[in-house]
Amino acid sequence: MSNTAPAHTSVSGNRKWAIGFTSAVAFFFILNKFILPEAGSGVQKFFNAWFSLTSMAEIMIWIVMALGLNIIVGYAGLLDLGYVAFWALGGYIAGWLMSPFFSSLQINFFGNPRPGLDFGIHFHVFLVLILGGVFTAIWGVIIGGPTLRLKSDYLALVTLGFGEIIPQFMLNGADIAGHNVTNGAQGIGGLDDVNLFGYVIGTFALPEKFLMVSVLAGAMIFFSIRLRDGRLGRAWLAIREDELAASMMGVPLWRTKFASYAIGAVGGGIGGVGFAILVGGVYADRFNFVISIIILAMVVMGGMGNVWGVVVGAVTLAWINSIGLIQIGELVNNSFGTNINFPSYQFLLFGLLLVLMMLFRREGFIPEARIRMVMNEDKFEDEEVVSDETKIGHH
Amino acid sequence: MIKPIKIGALAIAGALALAACSGGSDSAGGDALVVGTDLPLQGASADASKSTNEVAALVLEQAGGKAGDFTVEIKEYDDSTAAKGAWDDAACAKNAQDHVANTAEVAVMGTYNSGCAKIIIPVLNQAGMLMISHANTYPGLTIEWDMGEPGLYYPSGARNYARVIAHDGFQGTAAAQFLFNEQGVKNLAVLDDTQAYGIGISDAVQIEFEKLGGTVFRGSWDAKQTQGYTNTFEKIKASGATAVYYGGIFDNNGVQLVKDKTAVLGDNTAFLAMSPDGFSGYPTLREMPEAEGLWMTFAGKSLDGIKKGGGAPAKFVEDYTAKYGNEPNSSYAMYGGVAMQVILKAIAASDGTRQGVLDAVFAGEQICLTAEESISGMGFCLNQETGDVDTVTMTLQQMTGGVETDIKTLDIK
Repeated sequence: MSNTAPAHTSVSGNRKWAIGFTSAVAFFFILNKFILPEAGSGVQKFFNAWFSLTSMAEIMIWIVMALGLNIIVGYAGLLDLGYVAFWALGGYIAGWLMSPFFSSLQINFFGNPRPGLDFGIHFHVFLVLILGGVFTAIWGVIIGGPTLRLKSDYLALVTLGFGEIIPQFMLNGADIAGHNVTNGAQGIGGLDDVNLFGYVIGTFALPEKFLMVSVLAGAMIFFSIRLRDGRLGRAWLAIREDELAASMMGVPLWRTKFASYAIGAVGGGIGGVGFAILVGGVYADRFNFVISIIILAMVVMGGMGNVWGVVVGAVTLAWINSIGLIQIGELVNNSFGTNINFPSYQFLLFGLLLVLMMLFRREGFIPEARIRMVMNEDKFEDEEVVSDETKIGHH
Repeated sequence: MIKPIKIGALAIAGALALAACSGGSDSAGGDALVVGTDLPLQGASADASKSTNEVAALVLEQAGGKAGDFTVEIKEYDDSTAAKGAWDDAACAKNAQDHVANTAEVAVMGTYNSGCAKIIIPVLNQAGMLMISHANTYPGLTIEWDMGEPGLYYPSGARNYARVIAHDGFQGTAAAQFLFNEQGVKNLAVLDDTQAYGIGISDAVQIEFEKLGGTVFRGSWDAKQTQGYTNTFEKIKASGATAVYYGGIFDNNGVQLVKDKTAVLGDNTAFLAMSPDGFSGYPTLREMPEAEGLWMTFAGKSLDGIKKGGGAPAKFVEDYTAKYGNEPNSSYAMYGGVAMQVILKAIAASDGTRQGVLDAVFAGEQICLTAEESISGMGFCLNQETGDVDTVTMTLQQMTGGVETDIKTLDIK
């Protein structure tokens, strides 16, 4: 078995996956924009039930999130149990900068306020995406600071704390020294529709919204691959494999770890902005610990460190959570006359899947080559021993 | 190795073949009009939602499956996910689009959570679709509350949302007036559970109590606070308050809250405690000795009140029990049936289109249910400008002998 793949094979593999991803996005866009509106209602029902475009758009957001966390966990090997905090920060950036929330202000910078709601802050979506990324990157560095000396369990606990503090701040931020910063549990609604060069993506422009978040996911995939193959990516992988050896080889640990937190957080920020636009608001209820765990599960089950594995993990789990389990349940109930509430068994099935994965495929659906080697180290060693013994026997 | 291009091509070919082979007729219900119910079917509210769906279905069944000349069917939507165990913003956004995409659907009954309604109302508003809630009590959905509300939820400029239950402003006002005027409380501690409902109703109590001339000590209890709330109650003791109001839901660690209150401040005779309907209908609370004497309000008629009132509403509860083997899970479930009654009445008065159903509520003749018609036993008309009920019945209850006993009802105009 070959332990390393030649560079050209990797590039070719990436190209195939990229074509596959782009084709899938193009297929769903064309299908929903041009074919389904003219198709029979049976076809519409089938696709709306099994591949609802709102769910597909949500899946793209999960991909962005999972790829962001993959930079921290998969590339740099830093366990982060509080990634939902970055999602929250990105979401609130959209809430603050694309809505009438700060009603005492009236700032419009190429924004698209709704009629009668032109108070507040209304920035152009591109600017909000950039600011969302920058803001969360800064917070990535802030959280990175106290964790640089920590490893494994201790690091996980600190990130867990961060993941609790930020959502709690959002939930209780309706009165910070007399100022309403987050609107607390009520959340911030009434986000502006996106205006792209005069083309308004309105409430019912689902194919366009899907395309918009798919572009975000595509960009995240592209940068993830490019980062991994670059100098910084190799430094992350070196730290992940052996921090001491990496530092002995001249990898600047602090700077490299800071970079992983900052760049990983950007995914959360951009995804958070995209999700807020999809939903039309940001609500503190969403940002709980379970979300961090689901994103982590997407990374681990997909294949830590492997961009396409993480994409597959995110698509699979997000689809199951959103519509898959409900539809499979309906199919089973209709076929066998049962009345089982499948979604209520979600965590049972989810837990079972995790146990089975850890027993039989710890490296994930599509593992990264190095991770696969590490996970199967014993197997490789056994094979080598057997091989050596066979050779001795032959001699 | 997995070949993504082949997989993608296969999927596309399969989907297109399926699309080409499928017919053009709508197999779901034919010419029937659809009413969507939008409720959290997972998590803590699952039982209440199931019961609400059953009540709505029974209302339709007893109407012969018809509203006027139109055949009506119900389609259930779930706005929760098992992952959250509660309503989910993404699920609400998806449902909103699905309601609109279902061309046979003319109205929506729901939602249970006001947060979810904030997401769905603007989408349905732009599609000109009626939504009637049985449980949203956040005031800003229909009246001026926070900045931009309620216009924020009605981008088209016209209303499309109504509710058959009083908003928190009424319940908070009633509680504050009861404590100040009838119990002589002048210094009140108000605790919220940091959730949307709890904060809203606590705000309403505080505003009214201070308006009456009382003093309020404001605090909160967080369900995640595992070490308990003795510190909070010590602070209340030091503040000089003589009563406490639990503004929130019992699910949010209410057991610990009620126990700690008794431990620090004494039982409900020594130190008065009151809660909104977020504490009603919980067997665990009823069984707690510390809950004895707790005052409660319910924004409507309680299930016991409906049964004791007799007539058609009590008969409906009997029919429900005969069909499903138990009583409706909560009073809110009965109000789900009332919302369905309003929707059926609107469909009957319409031309069967979405706009027609919407106009039947917000234009032309006002939609009213008489006390004899309504399965809550409470007659009302819907205000065409706000979508709120014009008559509010508030039930004042007290926990006595482990039972939520109705003390009196207040009709607020």
